[in-house]
Amino acid sequence: MGVGALVDLGRHKRVPLHRHTLWYYMGGMTLFLFGIQVATGILLLLYYRPSADQAFESVQFIVTKVQFGWLVRSMHSWSANLLIFVMFAHLASVFFMKAYRRPREVTWLTGVALMGLMMAFGFSGYLLPWNKLAFFATQVGTEVAGAVPVVGPFIMRLLRGGEQVTGGTLTRFYGFHVAVLPALTTVVLGVHLLLVQKHGMSEPPSVIEARRRSGVPAKSMAFLPHFAIRDAIGWCAAMAILAGLAAIFPWELGEKADPFAPAPAGIRPEWYFCWMFQALKILPGHILGIEGELIGIFAIGLLAALVLLVPFIDRTPGPGDLRSRLINIAALAVLAIAGVLTVLAYMPAAGGPS
Amino acid sequence: MSRRAGALAAAVLVAALGAVRGAGAAEVSKPLQGLLPTETSCVKCHAELDGEWGEPTKHTGEDVHFGRALSCHNCHGGDPTAGFDGDSTLAHSRAKGWTGKPARKDIPAFCARCHADPEFMKRFDPHTRVDQLSEYLTSGHGRRLKTGDDKVAVCVDCHGAHGIRKVSDPQSAVHPTRLADTCARCHADKSLMFSYGLPSEPPEDYRRSVHARALYDNGDLSAPTCNDCHGSHGAAPPGVQNVSAVCGSCHTREASLFRETEAKRRIDLSDCSQCMVCHSNHAVLKPTDDMVGVGPRSTCTTCHSEGDAQYAAADTMAKSLAGVQARLAEARDLLDGAGRAGVEVGPDRFALQAAQDHVVEARVLVHSFDLERFQAATAEGQKVADAGLEAGHRAFDELHFRRNGMWLFLVVVVAVMIALGLKARELSRRDPA
Repeated sequence: MGVGALVDLGRHKRVPLHRHTLWYYMGGMTLFLFGIQVATGILLLLYYRPSADQAFESVQFIVTKVQFGWLVRSMHSWSANLLIFVMFAHLASVFFMKAYRRPREVTWLTGVALMGLMMAFGFSGYLLPWNKLAFFATQVGTEVAGAVPVVGPFIMRLLRGGEQVTGGTLTRFYGFHVAVLPALTTVVLGVHLLLVQKHGMSEPPSVIEARRRSGVPAKSMAFLPHFAIRDAIGWCAAMAILAGLAAIFPWELGEKADPFAPAPAGIRPEWYFCWMFQALKILPGHILGIEGELIGIFAIGLLAALVLLVPFIDRTPGPGDLRSRLINIAALAVLAIAGVLTVLAYMPAAGGPS
Repeated sequence: MSRRAGALAAAVLVAALGAVRGAGAAEVSKPLQGLLPTETSCVKCHAELDGEWGEPTKHTGEDVHFGRALSCHNCHGGDPTAGFDGDSTLAHSRAKGWTGKPARKDIPAFCARCHADPEFMKRFDPHTRVDQLSEYLTSGHGRRLKTGDDKVAVCVDCHGAHGIRKVSDPQSAVHPTRLADTCARCHADKSLMFSYGLPSEPPEDYRRSVHARALYDNGDLSAPTCNDCHGSHGAAPPGVQNVSAVCGSCHTREASLFRETEAKRRIDLSDCSQCMVCHSNHAVLKPTDDMVGVGPRSTCTTCHSEGDAQYAAADTMAKSLAGVQARLAEARDLLDGAGRAGVEVGPDRFALQAAQDHVVEARVLVHSFDLERFQAATAEGQKVADAGLEAGHRAFDELHFRRNGMWLFLVVVVAVMIALGLKARELSRRDPA
């Protein structure tokens, strides 16, 4: 059946052992959480109804009447957030360990694409319970997309299925969430995993340099069973955290969306979009005669392009290169700014939503 | 004033009305040829005068009449196209119908020349009323004016003489939000009201009422102010027999229940004032549940005393209402607690609203004084509240099940993690890196 070949592949695959080995578990953890998303998502599909007059009620039915429906829904929501968090950690570790360098440029590109896809999953899934907060957050989010020059209005209409956020938007987002995005993710994730297997695990330049200086031979462990068993311990921990969160802090359903009601206080997107949301919010109306929001959107777009193209900007091997260090400093600065903006978005006194 | 003198004064007033009416709206409303209402000789000359002669010209911008292309001469007569050279006698021409300032006693008829003329008024608004004068003549104000008392309110006292705004204009003195203050200018004047043998407290009482709070605090323009109970132009206190009709024009259900009762028939025979007995008139406060029963704030004990059947019925009503309220509060607290702990109780909370509806129904049914009907409503409420309470307990059972399940799962997961950890260590020992 070919299982032997797969086991053989796992036994031959080696995972380097050094002081940064812990970060290698992030990829597997992301994949595990994605698996939970797929499994719980399929279960939710059994009862969810994607229409404005039934979506909220169907989720309410899931969490109140369906056996363990509350657990499935809470795990889906919490796991989505945990997945984004772990994926950011995975991306950051790959970035700072310089694992995007040759020959892993395409692995990086597919990784960044997967990040975009996961965020799109988050954005589309947020609206599906059709509650008040999600409705207005989607309105704001799609408005931002609409502000992009030239293609913005088209993108906004494409996302909303019209000029306003309506039941049509919900059906559309459902389509993206359960068909378009999973199909794209399957392809991109397949390529990503294939490339990871092909190129093996990358060692950070600093570790290679230190080993070269000390002359100590490289250490590694077999993926099967050594690394896989440790991976499994991490997955168990993730399951425990998810179960705890689902039982103690079940994901709130809120109030049903009412398009004719005034926007409630405290509209904010999911936490991973908050830094962008806050940045656009605090920018002045006009900067040097150009609309502040446009400049913000341009800056965010430029940042995304830089992140995507970093393997082609930082090509020099070795840890000590000035350009490489500057890139690290810039990345740390961006992370710090994003962190501060996220905190600001959650602080009403500092101009965030109350 | 003797009856004969009164009759004479009334005859004079009616004759005056006839005389002024005889002038006719059509005669005083000739359109101006080529002049805007603010370009007449009246406005031009009076604008240069000080004091009361110049004052009217300062309000032409806000005046509803000027807005409809009417000007000074449409009320006061005269020739608005003459006298620009300073010769006011040409403008103030008696031959051209100049009347000058009308006496207070003539003002209702003066305004009625147009406002009681349907032909004339429908040019401006097909829905406008033209019965103000006839209503006024039935009011306390109008009746006293007929007797020669010109201290009573006439049109200009409420609407103003110049700068008259539409009633719907929030700055109008008769807009719902300002009407009580306008009435209070006279009706809160102790010495003036004393001279008529009327109380001066109603305006102050009204300001404390639930109606005033709804109007002023909530901006609810449907909340009643003075004219909604007393009428506008036909302002008169409702008679004792009519109180329930007045209150019932808004509180229809309560009024219809009350009208069917034995209590109503008894009250009709006594000097009690129906709704006012329990709710007061101007100082209608927000009704509370302790108005029913035999407690210190009960209004039932105003008429009923220990030993009579109605006293016992009031006590039973209060106890059933308090019982269902307590059960409802308990259910609500329990569901809120479960909701805060993360159990979705939205549908149960929604279902509990029906109990509140039954409580409201029971409060309304108090006006039927029918214990059986009242208890049927509270029993329904109790049933829903009990169901809510049960749902709350179920929600907490669910919560405990979740928490216990979580601990059990954590124990299993930790055990698996330990086992995997031990296995990993054993493998590392057997096959070091």
